[in-house]
Amino acid sequence: MKMVFDSTSQIMRQVIYALVLGIGASYAHFGWGVIIQIILAVLVAITVEASFLAIRKLPIKPSITDGSAVLTGILLALSIPSIAPWWIVVVGVNFAIIFGKQLYGGLGNNPFNPAMLGYAFLLISYPLPMTTWAGEFVNLTQALDVIFNLNPVDALSGATRLDDVKIQLALGKMVSELNIYSSAQMWINIGFLLGGLYLLARRIILWHIPVAFLLGIAISAFLLFAGDSEHYLPMQNHLMLGATMLGAFFIATDPVTASTTPKGRLIYGFLMGVLVVVIRSFGAYPDGIAFAVLLMNMTVSLIDYYTQPKVFGK
Amino acid sequence: MASYSFKGGIYLPNPYPVKDSEVRQVAPPKRVILPLKQRFEDEAQPYVKIGEKVLTGQIIAKTISKHSSYLHASISGVISAIKKYPIPHPSGIEVMCIVIDSDGKDEWIEIQRYNQDFQHYSPEKLIQRIREAGIVGMGGAGFPTHAKINNAQGAHTLIINATECEPGIMCDDALMQHYPREIIRGVEVLLHACGAKQAVIAIEDDKQEALHSLLMYNFNDHIDIVQIPTKYTSGAEKILIKTLFDIEISSGKFASDYGVLCQNVGTVKAIYDAIIDNKPLISRIVTITGSAVQEPRNYEARIGTSFASLVAKSYPNPAPHQIRIGGMMMGIDVANMHYAVYKTTNCMFVNNVVPTPAVQSCIRCGQCNQVCPINLLPQQLFWYAKSKNTNRALDYNLGDCIECRCCDVVCPSHIPLTQYFSFAKALHRKRTIEQQKIDTARERFEFKEFRVKRNKKERAEMMARKKAQLKQEMAQDASKKTKIAQAIARVKNKRDSKDENGV
Ligand code: SF4
Ligand code: SF4
Repeated sequence: MKMVFDSTSQIMRQVIYALVLGIGASYAHFGWGVIIQIILAVLVAITVEASFLAIRKLPIKPSITDGSAVLTGILLALSIPSIAPWWIVVVGVNFAIIFGKQLYGGLGNNPFNPAMLGYAFLLISYPLPMTTWAGEFVNLTQALDVIFNLNPVDALSGATRLDDVKIQLALGKMVSELNIYSSAQMWINIGFLLGGLYLLARRIILWHIPVAFLLGIAISAFLLFAGDSEHYLPMQNHLMLGATMLGAFFIATDPVTASTTPKGRLIYGFLMGVLVVVIRSFGAYPDGIAFAVLLMNMTVSLIDYYTQPKVFGK
Repeated sequence: MASYSFKGGIYLPNPYPVKDSEVRQVAPPKRVILPLKQRFEDEAQPYVKIGEKVLTGQIIAKTISKHSSYLHASISGVISAIKKYPIPHPSGIEVMCIVIDSDGKDEWIEIQRYNQDFQHYSPEKLIQRIREAGIVGMGGAGFPTHAKINNAQGAHTLIINATECEPGIMCDDALMQHYPREIIRGVEVLLHACGAKQAVIAIEDDKQEALHSLLMYNFNDHIDIVQIPTKYTSGAEKILIKTLFDIEISSGKFASDYGVLCQNVGTVKAIYDAIIDNKPLISRIVTITGSAVQEPRNYEARIGTSFASLVAKSYPNPAPHQIRIGGMMMGIDVANMHYAVYKTTNCMFVNNVVPTPAVQSCIRCGQCNQVCPINLLPQQLFWYAKSKNTNRALDYNLGDCIECRCCDVVCPSHIPLTQYFSFAKALHRKRTIEQQKIDTARERFEFKEFRVKRNKKERAEMMARKKAQLKQEMAQDASKKTKIAQAIARVKNKRDSKDENGV
């Protein structure tokens, strides 16, 4: 095998580059809010990380340059609605970095994916702003207005396709009566898929988790839909809606909190995929990625221990 | 030709290839320092005294231990000292060395002539001659060759390791290019000595010249020459056997348990010298390389020649240097060049000092477990080694790590993983010893407690017995007393009644 990287920072940088397409597609759909949230999240992430390191009297530069805080910020910004008020992202990033990472001893020691921990915290604490999405493209002034609360614009909001479907199904509608197709969501997912393929090609991530994750989603969605096509979404919608591809290639693959054995990665990814569909179909929240990730994070040390590869001569 | 490969390992480029394949013959030096022990040997006993004159090839140390071999003077001159010198070793130990100051004549002892045809000799005799020629494994480990052959008696296959083990080391490549005839003949001797039917010479596929030289001289049907990929750790014995024959040697077992004997190609040449030319092991080829020398080169030097004199011939940059004896992966860092070429030293790296990159946290990226040839999970081992949880690390098979450093090389966080592993292993050894000590101490203590208790109990029992006895005696006494009293009373009564009657 070839050596590709000489540092952790380089890996994180590549991951950030790979996000560009998906971010572009999100921007095209949701507008300027996406960009503002990302900038805000990154600034907050760096500040929190640096101040925390300063409090712990640790060297600041190596941890900031490893890029992990920046990446956490971006992933969280991408997960929250682009028109959420500014304090949402500030609170979320603070929670992610302090409770998700630094209190465990910093990068490499955290059992939970920090971005997803931050997201779950926000979703539970502030369900309303966390589920109010931009219904159309939002220009720069509008975005600044809503995010910084200068001038609330209710007209902009809507629900995402997954939320919408969920509400409609709850109201007793059948899947066949709903418009479950969203080209914008599909393009966003394709953007992240392409970025993910780039990471695979550069061997920054390994295929096991994304493939197993997508398979887990596909198989469980297929079975549910085959069982009851009026109440469950078809497989292709599960794959192309919500944060599926972002989750598959950028969140589930977070190396720190994922299983590290080859077999373990397959189990980890697959079960996570199944959980996503289960939470989407039966849970109270629209998208299940964050909870699926956190639940699977808890099983990692168990999975790792029981899936140790066969050692030479044993 | 079948394609051979193995799981894990890394392709490492040779950083400083030796440009010309010539081997520089180095004149016998003014002084040699010869250690009485290699890495895994028992120490040999000097057979000479200070001030004694010796000839080249003369035995200067002998041994009765099976795990040790003879030592010969590599130049002629006078024994000037027998004292301790540091040898390249991870813990920087010193061993007894014999120092010879040259008389400038390089006068040889009279060589005992044997019949050239080794087939006339029994394997036992050949093994004895190998021992007397002072041959040890020249690939680096330095295990005495006669002992290894003896252990492998009844082997069906002989493997000649011509893989060079690590990028940068070039001495075996040069050896094969220069002495192909001797090597093939040496393999024949070895086949006869160990009784194997078949020999395989395994050579890395980047050594085409060496391969062709060997092919040109090999007319023996019992000797195969195969190419294996130039991938690091291919030369590790167990990995090599797996690569060639798909035999996976169980953890804790040895090649000899599977009827396989492995020998380094340099050792084979030394065996040729000993058996066919009747010359003991007094010289070897070493590579001088690294970023700080302008002409990386192979030198054939007498054992005991100082490294500094060889490095000087390769035009080093001015100091400071980072010096490493052995390969860049598994070699040992040393502080200076004041070491001598030993039977086992194949290479010296002289590098310019470069800052080591800052160590970052493990991000569990898994690069390390992909390259581990033993299929371990270095990141888990690291986690437990760092927290000194040796038991858990052993659960993750710490004991099987061959310390090849593949994981270190690929780690994007630049963690010196292997250092942690050898530390954890040492810690475990220490803890085991301490635990044993504690166990014996506790046993001793418990026994003492037990003894004290037992004595107490015994004493108590004895006392009780005695008391009872005493009581009984007293009781008996008492009954005696009453009897006496009664008797007295009776007598008295009688007397009284008599008196009454008599009055
Ligand atoms: S290569 Fe280094 S950073 Fe990656 S898992 Fe292994 S020890 Fe951790
Ligand atoms: S040093 Fe040990 S853990 Fe690392 S690659 Fe080699 S055998 Fe595996």
